[in-house]
Amino acid sequence: MPLDTSTYSLALLRVDGRRWNELRRLHAQIRTQAAADGSSYLEMGHTKVMCVVTGPSEPGPRRGGGIGGGAGGQSKDAEVVVNIVIAGFSSVDRKRRGRGDKRTQEMQSTVANALAASLHTHLFPHSQINVSLHVLSQDGSLLAALINAATLACVDAGIPMTDYVAACTAGSTSTYAANDESADPLLDLNHQEEQELPSLTVATLGDSDRVVVLVCESRVQISRLEGMLAVGVDGCKQVRELLDRVVREKGQRMILEGTVEKGTGLNDLD
Amino acid sequence: MASLKRSHALDPLAANISSKIYVRSTKSGKVQKIVREVYLRQDIPCSSRLCHSCPKNAPSSAAGKPIPFVLSEAPAGTSTFPQGHYLVPDTNAFLTAMDLFEQESAFYDVIVPQIVLEELRNRSLPLYNRLISLTKSEEKRFHVFFNEFRLETYVPRREGETVNDRNDRAVRKTVAWYAEHLAQTKAKKVPAVVMLSNDRENLRKAKEEGIHAFSMADYVKQLKDGDKLLDMIPEIEDRDDVKEKRLGGNLYPEYFSMSKMMTGVKNGLLHQGIFNVSPYNYLEGSIRVPAFPKALLILGRENINRSIDGDLVVVEVLPKDQWKEPSTQIIEEDAITKNENPDADDAEDVVSAKERKALQEEVKRAHSKTTEGHAQPTARVVGVIKRNWRQYVGHIDQSSVSQSAQQGRKQDTVFVIPMDKKIPKILLRTRQVAELLGKRILVTIDAWDRSSRHPVGHFVRNLGELETKQAETEALLLEYDVQYRPFPKTVLDCLPKEGHDWRVPQNLDDPGWKDREDLRHLNICSIDPIGCQDIDDALHSKPLPNGNFEVGVHIADVSHFVKPNNAMDTEASIRATSVYLVDKRIDMLPMLLGTDLCSLKPYVERYAFSVIWELTPDADIVSSKFTKSVIKSREAFSYEQAQLRVDDDSQQDDLTKSIRILMALSKKLKQKRLDAGALSLSSPEVKVQMESETSDPIDVKTKVLLDTMSLVEEFMLLANTSVARRIHEAFPQTAILRRHGAPPKTNFDELANQLKVKKGLDLSVESSRALADSLDRCVDPKESFFNTLIRIMATRCMMSAEYFCSGTQAYPEFRHYGLASEIYTHFTSPIRRYADLVAHRQLAAAIEYEPVHPSVRSRGKLEAVCKNINVRHRNAQLAGRASIAYYVGQALRGKATEEDGFVMKIFSNGFVVLVPRFGIESLIRLRDLAEMEPQAEFDAETYTLKTSGSREVTVELFQKVRVRVTDQKDETTGKRGVKMELVSTY
Repeated sequence: MPLDTSTYSLALLRVDGRRWNELRRLHAQIRTQAAADGSSYLEMGHTKVMCVVTGPSEPGPRRGGGIGGGAGGQSKDAEVVVNIVIAGFSSVDRKRRGRGDKRTQEMQSTVANALAASLHTHLFPHSQINVSLHVLSQDGSLLAALINAATLACVDAGIPMTDYVAACTAGSTSTYAANDESADPLLDLNHQEEQELPSLTVATLGDSDRVVVLVCESRVQISRLEGMLAVGVDGCKQVRELLDRVVREKGQRMILEGTVEKGTGLNDLD
Repeated sequence: MASLKRSHALDPLAANISSKIYVRSTKSGKVQKIVREVYLRQDIPCSSRLCHSCPKNAPSSAAGKPIPFVLSEAPAGTSTFPQGHYLVPDTNAFLTAMDLFEQESAFYDVIVPQIVLEELRNRSLPLYNRLISLTKSEEKRFHVFFNEFRLETYVPRREGETVNDRNDRAVRKTVAWYAEHLAQTKAKKVPAVVMLSNDRENLRKAKEEGIHAFSMADYVKQLKDGDKLLDMIPEIEDRDDVKEKRLGGNLYPEYFSMSKMMTGVKNGLLHQGIFNVSPYNYLEGSIRVPAFPKALLILGRENINRSIDGDLVVVEVLPKDQWKEPSTQIIEEDAITKNENPDADDAEDVVSAKERKALQEEVKRAHSKTTEGHAQPTARVVGVIKRNWRQYVGHIDQSSVSQSAQQGRKQDTVFVIPMDKKIPKILLRTRQVAELLGKRILVTIDAWDRSSRHPVGHFVRNLGELETKQAETEALLLEYDVQYRPFPKTVLDCLPKEGHDWRVPQNLDDPGWKDREDLRHLNICSIDPIGCQDIDDALHSKPLPNGNFEVGVHIADVSHFVKPNNAMDTEASIRATSVYLVDKRIDMLPMLLGTDLCSLKPYVERYAFSVIWELTPDADIVSSKFTKSVIKSREAFSYEQAQLRVDDDSQQDDLTKSIRILMALSKKLKQKRLDAGALSLSSPEVKVQMESETSDPIDVKTKVLLDTMSLVEEFMLLANTSVARRIHEAFPQTAILRRHGAPPKTNFDELANQLKVKKGLDLSVESSRALADSLDRCVDPKESFFNTLIRIMATRCMMSAEYFCSGTQAYPEFRHYGLASEIYTHFTSPIRRYADLVAHRQLAAAIEYEPVHPSVRSRGKLEAVCKNINVRHRNAQLAGRASIAYYVGQALRGKATEEDGFVMKIFSNGFVVLVPRFGIESLIRLRDLAEMEPQAEFDAETYTLKTSGSREVTVELFQKVRVRVTDQKDETTGKRGVKMELVSTY
């Protein structure tokens, strides 16, 4: 069924009942895999991804989209290698995507770039940080979900980093062709909206307005872009809060359960 | 090991999140399960101005603009609800009675539940679009309430519950919530919330739940002017009935196999012919087959069975009890299928209820007739031998477009309404609906499956905005398949290298002068319309010592420049004719030739092909001579200038004298022709006057006939006839000639009967002479135009003239009926007609000026050429007419004038009026006569339509009426057309 964006103006409600500036429900967990160095599970609406971080470790055979470091990990910086696997069952139609899929490759390199900007890779020369992302279910804003999950997993892995890299998407209520000047910006698009409307993915570093990722693959009037970006950056801050809460809650629980030494102090976490 | 499973209890938002799960099947037959999130909320306002709580948390847009509250604090009441009421209609109510909701007298303060809006969109896009525009209009106060997103009104589907039942329940829940919510406002008069539904089960459940609910009819009865509105509620369809019909997957009967058709045709059981659609009724077609003198009727969608105007089809005659009269009703596709949904092509039966109704009336009428004689044999199409599909120009039906399609780049299915009314709507899948809306577009038909009600096509090209000169002109050219692209380089390479500097060589030994006669000393002049640049013909005359006259017709020698079988010749043979539009001319030959080197311009020497006769003072031919020549035209006159010169007695120069001789001779020639039975036929011709600078049309003038026009015409006819004889003599098998078949008598049956009944006049059609005479007798002393009207109508009964190759017909068949000439060809306009060019080559070969070129002797090739030029010629005429019609419409734009008109054709629900002043004819339907369609009684025997009720008039055939002519842009089709309204009858 085609998305009917015309009803938006009737009551300012989106197809799933959200307002223009509302995120979907974001649910996340960290340390989901005890055996891994770092792991996370993240849901943004019905987009569900899982992330496992291995490393920093000795570099293995090179594959995937690696950022930082030279060939064979001989450089002074650790290399961030991201590998994304999109499950065949993740979208409506069962579809196999090969390893060489160009879209997947691009996402790998985007995620690797984003992480490399925040992780203190210079602390781990001649090594490699492997980030494995598994997409279990897709419902729009996939890249944003991947970045968020990778951030959480890196936090879990204990790799020093400047701040959270929090991402979300932003769009606009009318299409490029409609050229509607009064179009509202939208936050966090689902699959239906993403197919129809202009959208961009933005990621910022922590609380700052510093944009580390900005991907826009659709046509949109330049006049609308500013509003979209502003809403997107604002959304990233909300996402950061949510991620931060997840980390803190997990930390608290770990202290309570005694997984972590008391000495670190519950109070330090606040 | 940590569990990924999360407990919902921990999530504070869990209660507000639901999901919509449904299964859908794609076009390719795949079944998909879709899961969508639904966020339930409590800040969706009720939008009633009575409410104090909702405005506090009402949403606002990114720009901070809140949505205004629309529902009135003091809504109108009814007899049952004096305190006022809000309406909540369900989907059925909108589907059956959308017209009611658009009434101005009632139906204010309507709450449209979101689920109803969605259901409506799935059922009928046009209705959905109408509802959306209602919600946007401020005075009607329609509010869409998003019940599916409001926590209190959201209803999950129960186990075993059908979607329909669940949706009905959702509507009832909304009504209940509103009632409860409004009660909390503590207003003095709390309006009642009333559900409208035509579903008995839904109404019953509403009663059980204690909700106010009425059927449409019961509700309308409570209104003040209820009786009037009651008529607008259609009868409720039985749901089961509809469902049963849907089961049949294929809508149309299957075609016979090719071999079955072929043997059938051979045995005489089936008949083959070209399918034609009636211009007034898209559900009626006719087919002419050799076996019967009269055309067979094909009525209704199922019998037409997917054939499109122009297709070569095979038909089977239906049993006699199914024979019918041709329709006397106007049935237009636009009006009947307006609300069809392009996506739901599998949903309905092939013949929609409305169409069936329209046809039903027909059958009733046929049955009520006691006179058996009127019924015509009918047939049904059993197969198509050859499709005549081409590219069609049209535009997207605005109302078939969904809102999302207007915005998105997703593939969408819409209807394209072709410009040609005979072509059915075409289903088009496109991703660029937004760009194409309001544009003239070119589409082709790809297929028409048994399971699809409409043919499926694809988009070819965008011609530009509707109603812009450029787009409309290009549309015309494409629609009539006129080649209008610039000439390719290969063609231009065939032009003389000297270009505009080309001159007739001065040296008489030059090969160009070989066998050419030097006629430069003659007083030759040309007479053409004003501004004519491509002058094909020039004339001269001089008295001879023996009292006879020498008369010469000199035709541009195009064949000197266009040699057979070169690129230019090939291009010209494809184009076949120049096309004259109001503001544009599409040349058959490149400009250099057409308007300069070949054109017999004054004061310069030009090559010509001359026909020179010796005529007696009585205009009998003594001798004729054909020769290539060199001439020098003394003057290029316009018809008006020449006329003035002839009439001015002070002008006594040789040139004027020679024109006077020609004038005198031409009158005698004309008389001879008329005596032989030539018809003077008529067509309503008008001229559009343009503003010289902007070339915008400003006025419409009827053409004035001058004697000088008929002078030129007579000598051209004489030249054509002489040349025809000569080339037929030289090439009995391969001469290119033009014939005009005698029309079958049955063509005139209708007209003759009409004349007899209405005017007591007889039309005899035994021969062209008899017809010409009886046409002369058709006069109405009170109305001078009456004769012209009859001539126009008689012209439409004629066959069209055609080019042919002499070997394909027996000599008696060569006859030109209209001109009453035994033999005829076209010779005099080689610049703008390819047939003339061929005739030139043949004549040149006949007089042994040049050797016979194989291409002018090959019969097969000539037949192909004839076939092409016949089609092109016809298209060029149609394009010219359509162009005039378009400009007449533009000239009338924004003006309203009252004009006299004549009733040309009469139907049981309308009539056609011709306005001679503008040369336009247009339909006036009964429903155009008055606000409420008047009742009408149609007497087919006397051709009288008598209306009663809201407006009482009697309209008869041939009657003179006063009409108001305005222009009108049809909102659904985007076409600007002439609209006529009946002012009074005389």
